[in-house]
Amino acid sequence: MKALTIGVALLTAAIIVTMGGCTISTPNGPASNLGSQTVTRYVAIGNSLTAGYQSNALYASAQDFSFPNLIARQLRLAGATIPNFEQPLYGDPGNADPTTGKAARYELISLVGPVIGPRGLTAGAPLNTGLTRQYDNLGIPGAVIFDFLDTTSFTIKAGPPRNNAFFSLVLRQSALGKTILAQARALRPDLVTFWLGNNDVLGYATSGGVSPSAPTSAAIFAALYAQAFDSLRASLPNAKIVVANIPNVTAIPFFNTLGPKVKPLIPPGVYLRYQKHGNTSLAFDSTRFTEANAPLLTLTGSAYATLLGANTGKWYRDKGILPPPAGIDTTKPFGFHPQNPWPDALTLDADEQVVAGAAVNAFNGTIATLAAAKGAALVDMNAFFTSVKANGYSSGGQKFTADYITGGLFSLDGVHPSSKGGGVVANQFIKVMNATWAMSIPMVDISSIPSIPVPFGKISGNGIPAIPASSFKDFDWLWGQSN
Amino acid sequence: MNKTIHSLVVFFVCSVMTSAVFASGFQLNEHGARAMAQGGAFAARATDGSAIFFNPAGLAFQTRPSLYAGTTLISPVSEFYGPTQLNTNQKSELQSQLFTPINIYFSYPIMEGLTAAVGVNNPFGLGTKWNENWAGKYLTTKVYLETFFISPTLAYQITDQLAIGAGVNYVTGSVLIERAVFTGAGDPRVSLDLSASGWGFNVGAMYKITPELSIGASYRSTVKVDAKGTAKFTPALSVLPAGDATTKIKLPAVAFVGLAYKVSEELELEADYQYNGWSSYDELAIEFKSNNSKSVAPKNYQDSFILRFGGEYKLDALRLRAGYLYDKSPVKDQFVEPMLPDANRNGINVGFGYNFNENFSLDFAYLLLLFNERKVESTIPEINFDGTYKSYVNLFAIDFGYTF
Repeated sequence: MKALTIGVALLTAAIIVTMGGCTISTPNGPASNLGSQTVTRYVAIGNSLTAGYQSNALYASAQDFSFPNLIARQLRLAGATIPNFEQPLYGDPGNADPTTGKAARYELISLVGPVIGPRGLTAGAPLNTGLTRQYDNLGIPGAVIFDFLDTTSFTIKAGPPRNNAFFSLVLRQSALGKTILAQARALRPDLVTFWLGNNDVLGYATSGGVSPSAPTSAAIFAALYAQAFDSLRASLPNAKIVVANIPNVTAIPFFNTLGPKVKPLIPPGVYLRYQKHGNTSLAFDSTRFTEANAPLLTLTGSAYATLLGANTGKWYRDKGILPPPAGIDTTKPFGFHPQNPWPDALTLDADEQVVAGAAVNAFNGTIATLAAAKGAALVDMNAFFTSVKANGYSSGGQKFTADYITGGLFSLDGVHPSSKGGGVVANQFIKVMNATWAMSIPMVDISSIPSIPVPFGKISGNGIPAIPASSFKDFDWLWGQSN
Repeated sequence: MNKTIHSLVVFFVCSVMTSAVFASGFQLNEHGARAMAQGGAFAARATDGSAIFFNPAGLAFQTRPSLYAGTTLISPVSEFYGPTQLNTNQKSELQSQLFTPINIYFSYPIMEGLTAAVGVNNPFGLGTKWNENWAGKYLTTKVYLETFFISPTLAYQITDQLAIGAGVNYVTGSVLIERAVFTGAGDPRVSLDLSASGWGFNVGAMYKITPELSIGASYRSTVKVDAKGTAKFTPALSVLPAGDATTKIKLPAVAFVGLAYKVSEELELEADYQYNGWSSYDELAIEFKSNNSKSVAPKNYQDSFILRFGGEYKLDALRLRAGYLYDKSPVKDQFVEPMLPDANRNGINVGFGYNFNENFSLDFAYLLLLFNERKVESTIPEINFDGTYKSYVNLFAIDFGYTF
């Protein structure tokens, strides 16, 4: 037994020696830092994409995941000394639909259908109104490039024709600055993200090329953008400025969801008869969605897709176009008969796609030139979203696509990023900032950001999202700056 | 003595408090405390029941019926720093688990030169468990893999120097995989519970070149395992393929070559090379019956090896043992994932055996597996989860032997 005791003692000693205490030392890696840069104040300039507008509304639990708010958080992790990043928070469930007076926010109401739309909830109220300075997030839903230097009073913009109350929400009083630029300048930021111009083409595209009937012209856009950018640079000569360009509008689910769902509903030998650009009467063209440049049906058409083949004039009644234009016969099968065609306002036809594409290219040319000339870093959002549409985007086991609802990247309105999408967008900015200024800002952990809440149950039905047509009025006023 | 054992127990319970992974790939090579204490260099001697694993030919030189049985306590600790693109300082720790693979061997000489034996052990296993909501939740939250090899074996001594052995392996096992499913809307969880079985074989030969020098070689075949079970999703969305699920896994072939030398009456040394045919594991493809879909995770393991060195020193009834091993990871950099945070590793082995009398013996072994720090920077898009893994594993084995 003596030998056994010796053995146990030896083994114990050997274990203690080899173990050297049960700890793992932290690996040496690049720690988060700002390189040789400092960031003491970050201001975000933009539209609904910057505001964190999501699922057809502005509400605090989505604004929490606005890409600027996420960037601000990551900047702090990298050692930035920025104070609280202040946003014009709107209490959940967010702003009201101007027509119903109820919360405009879309929710996934039922997986049977699926049914998507406002729940008829009482709208929320602005929360952060007591702030005595300008907001750091100056993203204004509906803002176009023209608005950056426009001194029109905020309350006038809230009335017709724009009906956009967000200028009053975000910029509040002219005492804080009469323009977006003035308010941004007053904050003396050393870092600015600038992402405007999307609405100069999105309004055209989402209204099926109807309202407005053309994107902002390339020449006017170039002039406005140059003016905006020159003033920004002149006001903040030393600030780090990051601009993002305009993603091609056809990369978003708003345009790619309905067509593929409608395609199998067209009986053999029958065509979808649709109006082309500017058409209000008889169908101008027909499709079975097999040609290369098939029309894109907007998500706005969801409520009417289930009426295909029915003898109905619902679209005209909903729009208040009574009686329907001459030549239209609503006793003919809707969408399948040339005399009761699928409306132009719900269609981005091949020609309109070309117009929108050309506008995006021209705008992005302007943006790239000015960014280079004025020493701003450029985030190529167009390339990113084009690649997402083609190949999806993977991160830590999450495979995002540009698909509606299930793709994960876009919110329920099919245009604006989801919360996770906000993280993905923020990471595109961070990547460019890190590369441009040799900073090591950590990326946003997208896996920790919540997905769209889903009711328990199963998705069933024909897959056409049942979104009440009336709820899309928001879209009209959000981008309907011209009317 | 009781006091010493008590402090040992306290020590191991303490290290068990930490957490979970094991051997390179999902292989387990600890199948007997005597072999384990010598770095697993045992194929040229194979003097106990674990010969069924290391080299079945070794059974032919065992002239008395014997029972050898025990367990290994495995306590892995693993930390992940990353994902790098998030924050190099962000640390995730594997949740603490204790694994106890077993080994039971019974051998019986039927007639002069011919020995029959049967063994049960767990040559493949894996267990990792991360926090339910950690950054890699869409890749893995929990994996548990267990295999039992039941191996009836025969060994025959052809001459005084030469013996051969062969056996069949009936393999039965189970796999549990849990993770979050990324659907874009909500975070359903999947729990995949499969059970499997398959067949394989093993052969070996041993040759005593001189009374001091012996050489051994063995081969265990691949085992094609068909796994069947169910996928459960919470909540159950119809787009998710709940219900029957199947997969096929090809467990790798393993070969040993060893050379043992008796330096003196007291001291034996051995060096082994173990080859692992891990290239058999190229993907984990799970087929879901309800919608005929397939989830394919590329693995693309490469063949790998383990170098083993060890020896035993006789001190009256006591056998003092020590060893070292180097285990090469079969997982390429771009395929490293938290389901199995693999890396090359060095193992330091110590242990001892004690023969109480003619019949009864007891063996203890301790192995500390130190993983090289592994930094991965270009994982494939399906994984896209870069970072640094740091791991070690404490293994403690006890086996008792009874020779009739």
